[in-house]
Amino acid sequence: MSAAQPVPARSRRRGRFDPQMAVVVARYALRSCFPTKRRIGLALPAAGALLFALLARVIPNSAPVALAQVADGGLFGVVLPVGCLVIGDAVLGAEVRAGTLHFTWLSPASFATIVAGRWLAGFAAALVALALPFGLAAVVAGVPEAIAPLMVAAAAGSAAYVAVFVLLGALTRRAVVWSLGFVVLGERLLGTALSGLAQWCPGWEARAVYARLGPEALDTLHRKGIPEGGSAVVRLVILTLVALGIAAVRLGHLRLSGPSGD
Amino acid sequence: MTVTPGSPPTAPAPAPPVEPALDPAFVPNPTVVVSGVSVFFGPKVALSELSCSFGPGVTGLLGPNGAGKTTLMRAVTGLLAVSAGRVWVAGGDPRSDRAVQGHIGLVPEDEAVPGGLTPRELIRYRAALHSVADRQAPDRWLAVVGLLDAADRPMDGFSKGMRQRAKVAAALVSNPTVLILDEPLNGADPVQRANLIRLFRQLGDQGRTVVVSSHVLYEVERLAERVVVLVTGRLAAAGDRRGIRNAMADRPRRVLVRADPPRVLAAALAGHEAVGGLEVDGDRLTVATRRAGDLALALPGLARSAGVRLWEVRPLDESLEALFRELVR
Repeated sequence: MSAAQPVPARSRRRGRFDPQMAVVVARYALRSCFPTKRRIGLALPAAGALLFALLARVIPNSAPVALAQVADGGLFGVVLPVGCLVIGDAVLGAEVRAGTLHFTWLSPASFATIVAGRWLAGFAAALVALALPFGLAAVVAGVPEAIAPLMVAAAAGSAAYVAVFVLLGALTRRAVVWSLGFVVLGERLLGTALSGLAQWCPGWEARAVYARLGPEALDTLHRKGIPEGGSAVVRLVILTLVALGIAAVRLGHLRLSGPSGD
Repeated sequence: MTVTPGSPPTAPAPAPPVEPALDPAFVPNPTVVVSGVSVFFGPKVALSELSCSFGPGVTGLLGPNGAGKTTLMRAVTGLLAVSAGRVWVAGGDPRSDRAVQGHIGLVPEDEAVPGGLTPRELIRYRAALHSVADRQAPDRWLAVVGLLDAADRPMDGFSKGMRQRAKVAAALVSNPTVLILDEPLNGADPVQRANLIRLFRQLGDQGRTVVVSSHVLYEVERLAERVVVLVTGRLAAAGDRRGIRNAMADRPRRVLVRADPPRVLAAALAGHEAVGGLEVDGDRLTVATRRAGDLALALPGLARSAGVRLWEVRPLDESLEALFRELVR
């Protein structure tokens, strides 16, 4: 091949971000990535949130303190990451493994558009499956003033979580294993020890959102060196954007070799 | 099944001329050019320095299982990055140039379809992704592939043939210039098979570049005038299908003859011009020949005159794999 190739414009090659097309991708992802079984699976974390709220009622502390206790260990420690893991894997990683991503990949839509659409679908699912139950949990726990703080924290945290899990879906076929590794080893083990790392962990930052906005928060929810409230939301937004940006680049380097992976 | 939806595709920018026009692996006005492409999966070589091109009309991509057909098709669509070499589709790189994807339609071999979706939903999604303005296009393509009645049933419960037809409609709804079909007839019943073959030929006649892979020789012969043969990731043969067929017919073959007594028949065959070699093992006589047709004509007469009873005559290496192996020698 000796003929010189005309170099197309960068935007033509990669395509432009198209918000309308991202909505098209999101609607499709919501329909195709959440079949009945997965929807039932998503009901489990929601049920878990309500069970933790019931647990708060039997803790011999004031209702806000009890809610903060279950929020720390249960809602933000278990329900949020597990629910987001299921959702984040469903919108990208599961499709890569199933060999059906090519229906989306083989289109003029830019990788940024595809990733944004997938994330949008995951975020919408997380709002319904996690943020709403978190709000309901505040009611069940008898702390109605915590409804908005819990929902905001859940929404901001799930936005970042889903973005991270979408990124892992674009990076590896074993996205679930790596996602679990991120939560257990990265967040819980290393994040507990290192504040510098915890600043960029969705779970810790979601706690920090609630720590500032919530009616009463335990000392464990306040953590030195981690920004709280609005600053934590900004961190989570930055984390979301960075993860989605890397995922978009990575999507262009995926080897889509069918369901077997051969 | 007739092709009506969609106007003939706009001619894409021509791919760069890469090889002499006389080489049968290349076509004069290519829309797809594969130049020195190799694909490795770890230590496994799936494609090895493959160079060929595809142009308007139907081209059959033939090869035994594991020959690299699917890998080539995925490389041409951009789904797979090539380890070495380049691929051009409609003048661009399908891997990095998103605009090129507007020209490509793919029907993959695997059965995977998005869970819970109906064919109508999938095709409408594909139409929306490609900004197809014609809102009736999805239903028209569903009718073309004979799935209109099942358009609102979840594809989870579809047979393999129905899934393939749904994927054909999903690939065609964007009116692609280049259509890559990986074993598209798998699972189709005989009627649908005939309809799909007619459809693909019509698409080729419209000026689209249609590449159809199969490991079944007669299917490709019914579909395509031009054939590209892959074996173990290498180009084994390319050109007019009759030329390929003749090349295969002239290759050396081995024919098993069970006769009583075999040694007498061997003596009678020894001087015949169609016979290249003889081997007797018990009641089995193996005859090597380059002219199997002549041997078949002469054998009954020779056996009768020698007083030999024939029990069985069959080729030992008639499988497609054997033909392919012979082609790459």
